[in-house]
Amino acid sequence: MDMSRRALLKVIVLGDIGVGKTSLMNQYVYKKFSQQYKSTIGADFVTKELQIDDKLVTLQIWDTAGQERFQSLGSAFYRGADCCVLVYDVNIQKSFETLNNWHEEFVKQAADPADPGAFPFILFGNKIDVDGGSSRVVSEKKAREWCASRGDIPYFETSAKEGYNVHEAFLCVAKMALEGEHEHEQEHEQEHDIYFQGISETVSEVEQRGGCAC
Amino acid sequence: MVKKKVPDWLNSSLWSSSSTTTTTSFSYSDTNHFDHHSSTSASPPIDPPLPPAATRDEQQHPPRHHHNYHPRKPDIKEDKHSKSSIVNDNISNNNSNNSISNNKIDNRKADNTESSAEDISNQALLLTELSRKVINMGELRRIASQGIPDGVGIRSTVWKLLLGYLPPDRSLWSSELAKKRSQYKRFKEELLMNPSEITRRLEKMMGFDNDDAKSESRYVLSRSKITHGEHPLSLGKSSIWNKFFQDSEIIEQIDRDVKRTHPDMHFFSGDSSFAKSNQEALRNILIVFAKLNPGIRYVQGMNEILAPLFYVFKNDPDEEMEACAEADTFFCFVELLSGFRDHFCQQLDNSVVGIRSTITRLSHLLKEHDEELWRHLEVTTKVNPQFYSFRWITLLLTQEFNFADSIHIWDTLLSDPEGPQETLLRVCCAMLILVRRRLLAGDFTSILKLLQNYPPTNISHLLYVANKLRGQPSH
Repeated sequence: MDMSRRALLKVIVLGDIGVGKTSLMNQYVYKKFSQQYKSTIGADFVTKELQIDDKLVTLQIWDTAGQERFQSLGSAFYRGADCCVLVYDVNIQKSFETLNNWHEEFVKQAADPADPGAFPFILFGNKIDVDGGSSRVVSEKKAREWCASRGDIPYFETSAKEGYNVHEAFLCVAKMALEGEHEHEQEHEQEHDIYFQGISETVSEVEQRGGCAC
Repeated sequence: MVKKKVPDWLNSSLWSSSSTTTTTSFSYSDTNHFDHHSSTSASPPIDPPLPPAATRDEQQHPPRHHHNYHPRKPDIKEDKHSKSSIVNDNISNNNSNNSISNNKIDNRKADNTESSAEDISNQALLLTELSRKVINMGELRRIASQGIPDGVGIRSTVWKLLLGYLPPDRSLWSSELAKKRSQYKRFKEELLMNPSEITRRLEKMMGFDNDDAKSESRYVLSRSKITHGEHPLSLGKSSIWNKFFQDSEIIEQIDRDVKRTHPDMHFFSGDSSFAKSNQEALRNILIVFAKLNPGIRYVQGMNEILAPLFYVFKNDPDEEMEACAEADTFFCFVELLSGFRDHFCQQLDNSVVGIRSTITRLSHLLKEHDEELWRHLEVTTKVNPQFYSFRWITLLLTQEFNFADSIHIWDTLLSDPEGPQETLLRVCCAMLILVRRRLLAGDFTSILKLLQNYPPTNISHLLYVANKLRGQPSH
């Protein structure tokens, strides 16, 4: 098999209870929405195949439990992740405030301790459809500020219910994870002096736009 | 490579297909047949429920081919979409289902180790055991582990006995139940604020407490009892308001999960007043439990463990039992969880009693009985058992099968004299062994997908395999 044309990428979805992690994943993979998803216990696992340029990519998405009790069990799921999706509910202030905890916890448990800032995160602000946006409490500006303070994390506003921006957001996830994987490969092949060149132009484009290149 | 040879029985063709072996009865009897006798003949309040007329008739001639014992499902079971049609929660709805499967009673049954005669007499044996003055628990466990027939309220009584809620001495039942039920009533009075109280407090908190004319007692309370430390804006730990805010967060979580408990079953879900009152009962139990157990409080998924207990007790044909289902369920829930409590406690995750240790025991059990499969999962494909068995174990398999099947598995779990956990691990191990061919042929992704969405399975067969793993490693 030509490894350069296929990639298996591991993505972890984190965020508070009820922000819509399972819904986002189901909307993306199955194009379905339900008001009634059961609470996720442990972590659920789905895959989605997509093609990026000439490369066939399999996203392995781990939908984790939101309750704090399950966090200490996270490390087993986090290991080997290529991208971490943080999700909050734009209508619930607390779910935005706890992003710091989720971010820290993930970095602590999974990121490369030598360079924790390099790990690709992405933020989704979900449920923007609720009450036509009138019950929203976290502004887009606030969210983008937070992203900027965490090393220019790409940000997407989504509605899992209406399928709004979900596909686009996950496509960005896939691209970021793929970039990260390039780095891994090169890291293996050529040692660290090449490492920084490994961060490709695409990534800097992303940063300039404050969003994702997709 | 593989040190131990796989025992022949593991590779038997029996395991690879969901062959129709003995299916222990799981027929929902027609509700019309229930005689609500025991509520009227009150004095020893709980007579063991008598079987409906048809069943009684059956008992006289047990060994012949019998009609009341339909194997729950013959061959290939329904996929998950059709689960509502099986469980469909109103007992009577299930008759049609069973009569279909009735036609397919498999003759191969006779070849199997369990005889159908034994199967048939299960209900009679249970009823005999339940009618003794002092119930022989060993005997009850032995019979119940083979499966408890549906309908006629047997399961409700047997589970209460197995969980130690009812004492074996039947003469103590009425006083014991009265004591426990009034205890629960006190818990509720002390620990549950009614919604209007919550609203009142919230209003007051939000500064709407000017309108104090309506109730004098309210006026007195709000004006004279609030000390400085109890002021709503006080953030001191001692503040009742601080506690109130914490509580309301838990209650919010409980509400959210109760509403999404078995959304496919009318018993639990929907707008009927019946479903609403059942949800209210689940909610009360979980809140009382959370407040009485501050070290654990509420952990997501507890609603799923509670649901089968409440469903079974609430469907007891005995009116008194049905009416007191909430209180009875509370104590049985506490009892059941006491064996698994440590799985819900984050502080114990890495201890010998915590969930990780239990998962490791499952892994050892698999290695002991099927090293080839163990090696493929954990060494070759690197499937960490936590990825699939965390939910299996913490939620006692309630999410992996349809509701009726889970209840059937619980009959066996609860009957085990060693406690449910040992049986649970054997059943989990058997689940792996039953799909071993597909697992051995699979990679990480396909294995995990299979185990996270376990295929419909003949439950009696699964339990049979699990029982074979009892204390006999494969050397």
